[in-house]
Amino acid sequence: MTPIARITMPGAQTTIQDAGRPGARHLGVPLSGAVDRPSFAIANAVIGNRWDAPALECALSGPDLTFNAPTSIAIAGADMAATLNGTPVERNIAISVKAGDVLHLGGAINGLRSYIAFAGGIAANAFLGSTSTYISAGIGGVDGRALREGDTITLANLAMQSPSVLPSQLAIDPKDSVVLRATTGPEWSLFDDQIKAAFFSSGFEGSMRSDRMGIELQGPAILPPQNFSMISSPVFPGSVQIPPAGAPYLLLSDAQTVGGYARITQIIDADLHLAGQLRPGTKIWFNKVSPEMACDITAKKTALYEAWLPGFSFT
Amino acid sequence: MNNPNDIIAFGEAGWLARLTDFADTLDSGYFANRVADILRAQPDITDAVAGIDSIAIRFDPKKITAATAHKLLSDALERTPRHSEQPASPIIEIPVCYSKDFGPDADHICTHCSLAPDQLIALHTAGDYRVVTLGFAPGFAYLSGLSPALDVPRLETPRTHVPRGSIAIAGGFAGLYALPSPGGWNIIGRTPKILFDASSSSPFVLKPGSSVRFTPISEDEFYKLGGTP
Repeated sequence: MTPIARITMPGAQTTIQDAGRPGARHLGVPLSGAVDRPSFAIANAVIGNRWDAPALECALSGPDLTFNAPTSIAIAGADMAATLNGTPVERNIAISVKAGDVLHLGGAINGLRSYIAFAGGIAANAFLGSTSTYISAGIGGVDGRALREGDTITLANLAMQSPSVLPSQLAIDPKDSVVLRATTGPEWSLFDDQIKAAFFSSGFEGSMRSDRMGIELQGPAILPPQNFSMISSPVFPGSVQIPPAGAPYLLLSDAQTVGGYARITQIIDADLHLAGQLRPGTKIWFNKVSPEMACDITAKKTALYEAWLPGFSFT
Repeated sequence: MNNPNDIIAFGEAGWLARLTDFADTLDSGYFANRVADILRAQPDITDAVAGIDSIAIRFDPKKITAATAHKLLSDALERTPRHSEQPASPIIEIPVCYSKDFGPDADHICTHCSLAPDQLIALHTAGDYRVVTLGFAPGFAYLSGLSPALDVPRLETPRTHVPRGSIAIAGGFAGLYALPSPGGWNIIGRTPKILFDASSSSPFVLKPGSSVRFTPISEDEFYKLGGTP
C-alpha cells in the first residue's frame, strides 16, 4: 500500500496509539493506548473516523510530515503551534491536505501530548487486538517503537462516517493548573493523619520524570506509613503510589500491572486524561471524592462525550 | 472463608481483596490466580488481576453495580478451594550464566548471607521454582521456591536499567526480567533464553503456575545460546 505521508522529523516521542489492550493485565501486559483519550477521540471524530482509530500521539514536541496524496487530518490535545506549509492550522477541526504539503508541529505550548488523526486511521502492527505502541516490550505501532525520520504513515482505510463538528463544551485545551479528583487507595488508612491532610490540601507540580508509564509529582514529602512494606499487588492507570522518598508517582496508560508501593489514591476515570497533559511545572491539586460520587461523575462526563462519540469510554 | 472486611474499594469501579490466611505466598498466589481466572470469565468484570497475596478486579459500572461486583468477588473467593495442590506443570529449564558481569550483586549477597560464590549458585539452582505471578515491571516473573538462605532485601536505590534476561532475588523471591526495565532487585546472573514472544497471544513464556529450574552455564555457552552482551 502506498504511504500517505513520510516523517521528516520525528518529534520527541511520536507513537501510534489507539484505545489500548484492555483485559490483558493478568498476562503482565499493560493497557497502553492514548494517554489523553478524549483529545485522541476528538482528533479522530472531526474527520469522520471512529473515535478509537489508530492515530499519532506526540509527546513534548511533534513531527514534521510530508504528504504524498490528498487526505484529511486533524490535530487535538496540546497546542504544538502546528503549521501546514508554514501557515498556522487550528486544532479540533478537519484539515484537508494535498500531495506535497508539509505539516509541522513544534514543542508543546500548553500540555504535553498532541494527537494527529488521519482519515481512515493508521495501519500498524496489532498485538492482542490493539495497535498501541508499547515501547518497553516492542509491541504495536511501527516495530514497537517511536517513529523515526524516514518512517511512513499508511492508511488503514477503516470504516468512516461523515465528519462532525466538535461541540464547543467538549473541547479540551490543557491548562497550567488542574484539579484531579481521586478516591482513596487501598493503603490510604495506613498513612499518618498529617500526611493524609497534606495530600489533599497541598499543591503539587508535574516533574521532568514523566513518560507513558507515569509521572512523578513534586511537592511536600508524602511519606509512606512507618515501617511500611507490602508484597506487590495490582495497580492500574490512575493509581498514585508513594515510594519511600515521598514523591507521589501517578501511573498512566503504560502502568505496570502490579507494584510494591503504598497506593494512596486512585484518580477517577473521568479525570485521568488530564494527567496525560501534565508537564513540568503544571500545578496539581487533588480533590477527594467517594467511589459513588466518582462513579456518578464519570457516568455524566462519559454521557456528554458519548452523545457525540458513540461507544466512547474513559477506560 | 475470606473475611468480607478484607475486600476494599479500589477506585470507583474496582475492588481489592487481601488474602490473609495463607501459610505462604505460593499458596496465596495460586489461589489468587484461580480466583482471577474465574472472575475474568464474567462479562461485566473488565479486569481481574492476581497479586501474590491479593486480587483486584475492575468492573463496568454501566452494566453492574459496585455491590454486584463485590458479591461476584466474595462468592469466587468463598467457592474456590483454598488449599488445593497445584497441578504439576512441565519444568521450563532456564540456563543462567552467573558471571560477575551478568551478576553485579552476587558479591554483596554472598557477604550479606555469609556464602561463598559457589554456594550462592548451588543454592539458586538447587530446587524447582513456581511462577507466582507476573508484573511489577512488564514481564517480570515472581518465583517462589527460593532457598531461605538467600533472603536479601531489595536494593536501596533501584537501577534505572536492568537488562533483559536478568535473574534476580529479593524479599524471599526469585525474579526474572523478561524485558529490559528499571528494577530494584539483586541481580545474580543472566539467561540467554527468550522469555517474551510478541507473536504469541500469551507473550510471556512463563505464566503463573509454570515450573522453573535454573541450570548454570558458562559465558561461552551463554553466547552460543544466543545471549547478547
